[in-house]
Amino acid sequence: MQSNAALEYDYSLAKKFTFLTILFGFLGMLVGTIIAAQMAFPELNYLLGEYGTFSRLRPIHTNTVVFGFTVSGIFATWFYLGQRVLKVSIAESKFLMVLGNIQFWLYFVGALAATVSLLLGYSTSKEYAQYEWPFDIVVVLIWVLWGVSIMGLIGIRREKALYISVWYYLACFLGVAMLYLFNNMEIPTYFVSGGLGDPLHSVSMYAGTNDALVQWWYGHNAVAFGFTVPIVGMIYYFLPKESGQAIYSYKLSLLSFWGLMFVYLWAGSHHLLWSTVPDWMQTMGSAFSVVLILPSWGSAINMLLTMKGEWNQLTDNPLIKFMVLASTFYMLSTIEGPIQAVKSVNAIAHFTDWIPGHVHDGVLGWVVFMIMAAIFHMVPRMFKREIYSKKLMEAQFWLQTTAVVLYFTSMWIAGITQGMMWRAVDEYGNLMYSFIDTVTVLHPYYAIRALSGVLYLTGFIMFAYNIIKTMTSGRELTEEPQFRTPMA
Amino acid sequence: MFHWLEKNPFFFASAISIVISFAGLIEILPNFAKAGRPLVDMTPRTVLQLAGKNVYMKDNCMACHSQMIRPFKSETDRYGKYSLSGEYAYDRPFLWGSKRTGPDLHRIGNYRTTDWHEEHMKDPAKIVPGSIMPAYTHQFTNIADIETAYAEAVTVKNVFHTPYGPGIKSGKAAWEAYKPTVLAEAKKIAADMKDERVKSAMAEGKVPEVVALIAYLNSLK
Amino acid sequence: MGISEIQGYASFVMTIFLVIMLYGYIMYLYRSEKRGERDYEKYGNIALDDEITSTPVEDKAASQRHKEENK
Repeated sequence: MQSNAALEYDYSLAKKFTFLTILFGFLGMLVGTIIAAQMAFPELNYLLGEYGTFSRLRPIHTNTVVFGFTVSGIFATWFYLGQRVLKVSIAESKFLMVLGNIQFWLYFVGALAATVSLLLGYSTSKEYAQYEWPFDIVVVLIWVLWGVSIMGLIGIRREKALYISVWYYLACFLGVAMLYLFNNMEIPTYFVSGGLGDPLHSVSMYAGTNDALVQWWYGHNAVAFGFTVPIVGMIYYFLPKESGQAIYSYKLSLLSFWGLMFVYLWAGSHHLLWSTVPDWMQTMGSAFSVVLILPSWGSAINMLLTMKGEWNQLTDNPLIKFMVLASTFYMLSTIEGPIQAVKSVNAIAHFTDWIPGHVHDGVLGWVVFMIMAAIFHMVPRMFKREIYSKKLMEAQFWLQTTAVVLYFTSMWIAGITQGMMWRAVDEYGNLMYSFIDTVTVLHPYYAIRALSGVLYLTGFIMFAYNIIKTMTSGRELTEEPQFRTPMA
Repeated sequence: MFHWLEKNPFFFASAISIVISFAGLIEILPNFAKAGRPLVDMTPRTVLQLAGKNVYMKDNCMACHSQMIRPFKSETDRYGKYSLSGEYAYDRPFLWGSKRTGPDLHRIGNYRTTDWHEEHMKDPAKIVPGSIMPAYTHQFTNIADIETAYAEAVTVKNVFHTPYGPGIKSGKAAWEAYKPTVLAEAKKIAADMKDERVKSAMAEGKVPEVVALIAYLNSLK
Repeated sequence: MGISEIQGYASFVMTIFLVIMLYGYIMYLYRSEKRGERDYEKYGNIALDDEITSTPVEDKAASQRHKEENK
């Protein structure tokens, strides 16, 4: 290849996916806040008739956050950092550019259509895999396009060594591909029955306990390969780059990677403790969940140690604050998860609000914080402008941190209260509370949670405003900042 | 060897695939035959009950209700006998749920009646003061898609050999011939209901969603 | 021998195998660095120095040239 003076990284795809990240993030969190409020104030269920009930909206919240917000965040950061760590511009290959654009439009249209289908009540009822079969096919297509694009970019790279972030994105691609395919095996009833009924309807390939096993092997590991692996990949690039400090121990990052790959998949059956899946599998699930602390903390501690001797950056760069808080919440939720996977704790915690509490300290504290930090880092470089307001960033940081703390503390209390009340017996061994007693007692906690949702959403709107202002009216930069992102 | 892996993207990707797939292979596959066996004397759900299950899925009842009674005294006291693997053998998908904002429903058919459900779906807080469950009044006007439920029965019979009778077979003609059976079953449920909308829909040969849903809930025992 | 026994042995063997591999990898990482064969920590710079014009830590084109010369 000829050396070309005009050769530059091409950010057009990263920009497009950044817009989607913000759009879907807003939608997902808006619906989340609404359904949180519905649990405290049930009258809010009737705003949209049939389409506004808690039950109909919940899959929209989860799927928009997972497949809308997080996945577009993964795509956006990949199309940004993938080029940089491989030292190749995606524009050097026409083919990859066309492929990336097809991926973008297919994804955008597909995601909107799938959301409408959920609203109309088309659902396979498997959590985080509710999309009916035509949408599953679209998802698979998008994923294949992305896979070709990753491999293509790696194929034309200049940097021979693959940086650790690339490992994580590759694992994300492979893991999600495998899990999604197996869990969404379904048979459209229209074609088998000779053209009867609704063409969108399908039945699962697996039944009963088998279906449950496959579902939670998927459900757990979708969290692994969607919410953990790529986000770790992000922080391994953005934290060193923003702080100017190389990863504390590159070797530790490699080890944690293989450790995570090896252990994570085993832990899926901890979602089915005390159910009708075989005992030994439940025990395996518990045991490996505890072992999982090691690779998770390996990564998190590595991140925190990267800041060694540079902790002053924490006070004067809000972006570092976002990322350090994210790795702290990662540590919190990866110790909380194994605790819940201990069989005796699970007996109390399962089916209660402690579980959504756990999910949200991971997602709100770790995933969303990291993706927002990544966007704060990328946008000034992609648009060659300074961040619009540092003050707004600071305010957003504290508002959202408060929101996360309110969320998980209220849900911890709610979950443990409910779990204990379900099993409480009087001196004669009779159950002490009827079910409804255990619902009404939770009202204050549900109200606090709804409030935390409003705070977090407000923070996200501040974020979106700040980013859009940066794109349009931030002070222009003459050259790309090397480490620290400039902000006004 | 290790360093070679780190530099060859293709083999590197293969190594990741092997490491992440072996847990699934060992854990899940071998149990399929065993866990898939139904209890003795168990019959699959009727077409009407399947239609009700589809309403249960459409309105996503599993967001708040589980169908999995764990083997603890506190649960068997509250909900009845603990759940057995074989009871789910015909459930596609499984509907165990993961959250109990409301109570478990796996044996609801043992202690709730058609009449109770009718009133409860209209206004849960009237029947259970303090309930935060929304009313599902649209189920009284929406018509259940029994044809799709029939298609589902045909599919599981043809593909998975679920033991449905000879009346369940593919094609429009077979469905037209089978339809009266479904309507007759729905009439029995609707006979215990008071709602005028339900009665007039039934008179036109249509099954409201709530009737199918109640047929399904009554079958959970 | 029933399927569940095979399952038990298989998972045991696989677990042990992967644990050995993981420990082998740790040994390999530290030993190759001690012997001066390879400096893993330098890969951390890939993220820091990532301009399209900057020199790769390990140049793909250069190593290919190297291979061809050896032929």
